[in-house]
Amino acid sequence: MEARALVCPGCGGSVQLRGMTQTASAVCIQCLSIIDTTTPELRIIQQFMAAQRTLPLIPLGTRGKLRGDLYEAIGFQTRQIEVDGMAYEWREYVLFNPYKGFRYLSEYDGHWNDILPIKGLPIPTSGGVSYLNESYKHFQTATAETTYVMGEFPWKVMVGEKADCTDYVSPPRMLSSEKSGNEITWSIGEYMTGAQIAEAFQLKTALPDARGIYANQPSPFGNSVGSSWTLAVFLIAALAGVMVLSSMFMSQKEVFRQKYSFFPRTGVENSFVTSVFPLEGRTTNVELSVNTSLLNQWLYFNFALINDDTGEAYDFGREVSYYNGRDSDGAWSEGSASDTVLIPSIPPGRYYLRVEPEVDAASISSARGVNYEIVLRRDVPFNIPFGIAALLLLIPPVFTTLRKTRFEQARWQESDHAPAASDDDDSDSGDDD
Amino acid sequence: MIKHPFYLAYGLMLISAVGWTEYRGYGSINLNEVKKVPKTIRDNPGSYRSHYGYVPRYFGGK
Repeated sequence: MEARALVCPGCGGSVQLRGMTQTASAVCIQCLSIIDTTTPELRIIQQFMAAQRTLPLIPLGTRGKLRGDLYEAIGFQTRQIEVDGMAYEWREYVLFNPYKGFRYLSEYDGHWNDILPIKGLPIPTSGGVSYLNESYKHFQTATAETTYVMGEFPWKVMVGEKADCTDYVSPPRMLSSEKSGNEITWSIGEYMTGAQIAEAFQLKTALPDARGIYANQPSPFGNSVGSSWTLAVFLIAALAGVMVLSSMFMSQKEVFRQKYSFFPRTGVENSFVTSVFPLEGRTTNVELSVNTSLLNQWLYFNFALINDDTGEAYDFGREVSYYNGRDSDGAWSEGSASDTVLIPSIPPGRYYLRVEPEVDAASISSARGVNYEIVLRRDVPFNIPFGIAALLLLIPPVFTTLRKTRFEQARWQESDHAPAASDDDDSDSGDDD
Repeated sequence: MIKHPFYLAYGLMLISAVGWTEYRGYGSINLNEVKKVPKTIRDNPGSYRSHYGYVPRYFGGK
């Protein structure tokens, strides 16, 4: 593609034409005149004022490969919308390939879109539109105004011209309609990063980093939420399998059972030892259950499970208390007359139990006493750790879901459908951006 | 699963850990372990002083 040049009818300056005969207007950068290039007399459509000349991030005349085709940047414009008194400005580039025609790039806060006009008409749906079997959600409707132009355009561009723009998103794509007068044009954009643009156009200067989250920016979490929940289901099923299998293979064998009666007497030794019983198999737990006849009393047991061969003792204490009654609130009860505890990791061997009951002597008739039964079982399943593990397994998918939700909230914060609860954040994030 | 190798590894590690500790026998209590308890305790249980014993306590009702 070779650039032609024309003489600006306003200032006599040279205006380069890169769009062959396919552009309709060109801008003289010297006098800021917009020239109608479709007529031989080169009529000036508009002469505009610009307090400051905006430099495009992709210099006009730069060529780059987009989607495998070579394009040249031939036009540049800045446009803005006003929302709640705040002006939001973005930049658009006109790209041209003599065989492929025009395509466009837009850039806002470091977020880029590769845009092509579409020929078909999207079908309106509730909350958006559908195009090529893909649903797009309505994002924003606003009136865009052209604020600055450079280069060439395939239409008669004018500074100050306004169009009603409506964006619909289905990341990473965005459908946009522009209504100007009676004409509506539709285009489809696909999100690109600054790095992709810099690579495509072999830009020497680095493009600004993206700030905030753009309307059709693809979520970094993609389908990871769904797949992480699928994995969570798989892992929890595996955990449940381990739990069921271990319950099936644990012997839960009763190794000791004996009934006792306790008559508290002061000055008399209350402790005693049981007969020796074997704990077989591997190192595993022992469940001790105490079932008592307590009523409105407490009983405290000092237990020591002692290995008869090695003299190793495992000391622990258990309280059993049970109270009930009736008052102005109705019937009440507190505690339980029985207690169960799991003694962890006891090696195999011959053991006996030293039992030392304690009681508030005044509360128990020494004549009636308390009856209780001690039962020991070996190798008993304990399901609470499996429940804790299941909760721990849920942390990654819950965390991923929360992060994705926050990402989407940030995306929609900038839309016409901003979450109402985050109105305050809206202004904050606007400042940040 | 391939998409979440760290989560998969974390999950399998957690399941293995729970499975292993279940095999070794969980417990729901803290024990005080005493070594070399004399055999005479069987004849004189009162000579043993429990780690948990002789602490004043009251477990009252409502």
